[in-house]
Amino acid sequence: MKTKFRRCWPNRPADRSDSAAPPSGSARLRPVTALALAALMGGVGGCSVLGAKPWEHDLLAEHAMQVDPYPLQTAIDDHIYFSKEASSGGRSFAGGGCGCN
Amino acid sequence: MQLTSKHGMGGTGVRRALAAAAAGLLASGQGKTQEAASAPPTTTVDSALLVYHEVNRVQAIEPEVNVTHVINEDSTVLFGVAADSLTGATPLGAVPSSLPQSYVRPYKVVPLGTPLTVTTASGGSTVVIVPPPSGAKTQTLSASHVVPPNTYPLDHGFYDRRVAGHLGWEQALTSTFKLDGGVAYSKEHDYRSESAHVGFTQDFNGHNTTLNAAINYESDLSFPIGGTPTPLTVMNGEWKGPDTSMHEVDAVVGVTQVMSRRWLATLSYSYSDEHGYQNDPYKLISVVDPVSGQPTEQLYENRPTLRRKQSVFLDNKVHLASDVIGVSLRAYRDDWGIKSVTADLRYRWQMSPDFYIEPHLRIYSQGAADFFHYYLVGNETVPQYASADTRLAKFHAETVGVKFGAPVSDTSELNLRVEYYDQHGNGSPAGAIGQLQQQNLFPDLKAYTLLLGYTFAF
Repeated sequence: MKTKFRRCWPNRPADRSDSAAPPSGSARLRPVTALALAALMGGVGGCSVLGAKPWEHDLLAEHAMQVDPYPLQTAIDDHIYFSKEASSGGRSFAGGGCGCN
Repeated sequence: MQLTSKHGMGGTGVRRALAAAAAGLLASGQGKTQEAASAPPTTTVDSALLVYHEVNRVQAIEPEVNVTHVINEDSTVLFGVAADSLTGATPLGAVPSSLPQSYVRPYKVVPLGTPLTVTTASGGSTVVIVPPPSGAKTQTLSASHVVPPNTYPLDHGFYDRRVAGHLGWEQALTSTFKLDGGVAYSKEHDYRSESAHVGFTQDFNGHNTTLNAAINYESDLSFPIGGTPTPLTVMNGEWKGPDTSMHEVDAVVGVTQVMSRRWLATLSYSYSDEHGYQNDPYKLISVVDPVSGQPTEQLYENRPTLRRKQSVFLDNKVHLASDVIGVSLRAYRDDWGIKSVTADLRYRWQMSPDFYIEPHLRIYSQGAADFFHYYLVGNETVPQYASADTRLAKFHAETVGVKFGAPVSDTSELNLRVEYYDQHGNGSPAGAIGQLQQQNLFPDLKAYTLLLGYTFAF
């Protein structure tokens, strides 16, 4: 590795000067959005308690622990569901094709 | 961000590679043979064969191959090809009737006066000549078929062939920043799609946090057999309008966080903006008699030309003693009025260091598009947008399956997955008119998939 980053990014919410003020429009946040934002803030901002040391990445290096260990099969699944359901995407781009049948 | 092997093989392969390397060190002086044996592979070939079977409907076979080649420590090239062949029957969108119903679609254009030498088309249809307008130099052949009483109308004559390919590149600019990009192409006998994307990933926090963002542009061209029908006009056998296009911009931003030694979480937000022709040119919507419920005519559907889609995706992987749990949730909505939730659960049961069984459960639920109607009523004004495509209806779906995987060698894995998909909606909507009360307006869709995968590296 060429460099090592020791600092969290972005700064933890508590470090931000505007973190105490509720974001505009927060009253309109839906539960799903709120949950997602909470998870995002927890994931990115909480780096002081989250994570693993470099020597603790053994299990994370296993194939089954990759974000998408079988991307080809995921793409096939996405194409099937894209053809049979109205929703698509989420993990990545939906991919091309008509899906008319 | 993870300590993953670039050739993407399983943990077993990684362990064996490390063991081989250690053995090579211990056996110093054995020459270059062992050095070569412990060198990591640079090329991974990921292949799959899909056999897809819908009960009484579509059948498909689809082989796919992806190749990933590590050029050097910083550069990786990816490419892949896919092909599929579809046959069978697909819903027309029309409602069933207690009486026989006749459907017609354009089939072929031939020079005027060409004798009719073929009287049947695929799907058991009868070929008829559409009377040409005066002065025309060509004539249209159309395929007509009769749907028996009390039968959900399907088009038995459809077929499709698709070929697709993609080419991509990943370039690490620093130890924590990587750019990627690529192009993709897909061609069917009545549809073409071209797209290009660029993106980046940035690691933070000692490679425990990864931010990724990407943008994709797609341009599609639709050239249906028989031409593009004018929306909400009455079904007929005449050749129809010119090709149509659709353009799409997608963006996704996400963060992946190592929560602990055993827990990896990913959260993504994606947005899509689609402009252009988005009708299914083969789909109909019935207009029924307001008293009897009998279809009086069939119209071609019409959907809005603008669609904005958003989704939030949360994925978690947790490593137990030796097994791995994967659970993901997706919330989706678009400005067609569709909302959906998807939950996906996989449990990779590591039976031995080399063999695993992975049960899979997926639960999906969606609401209907604002313009979805099972049918239109004859004495009411035809809306601006209307579709009876049940894929735009409210429904639920479940997928259950199991996957078996085992290595064939130190750098290869063979796996087999079998799944069952059941989609079910409301086949007896409230307020159904007349004979429609006796019909099933949303038959279940049941499908089986068999997916054989083989991955090897060299």
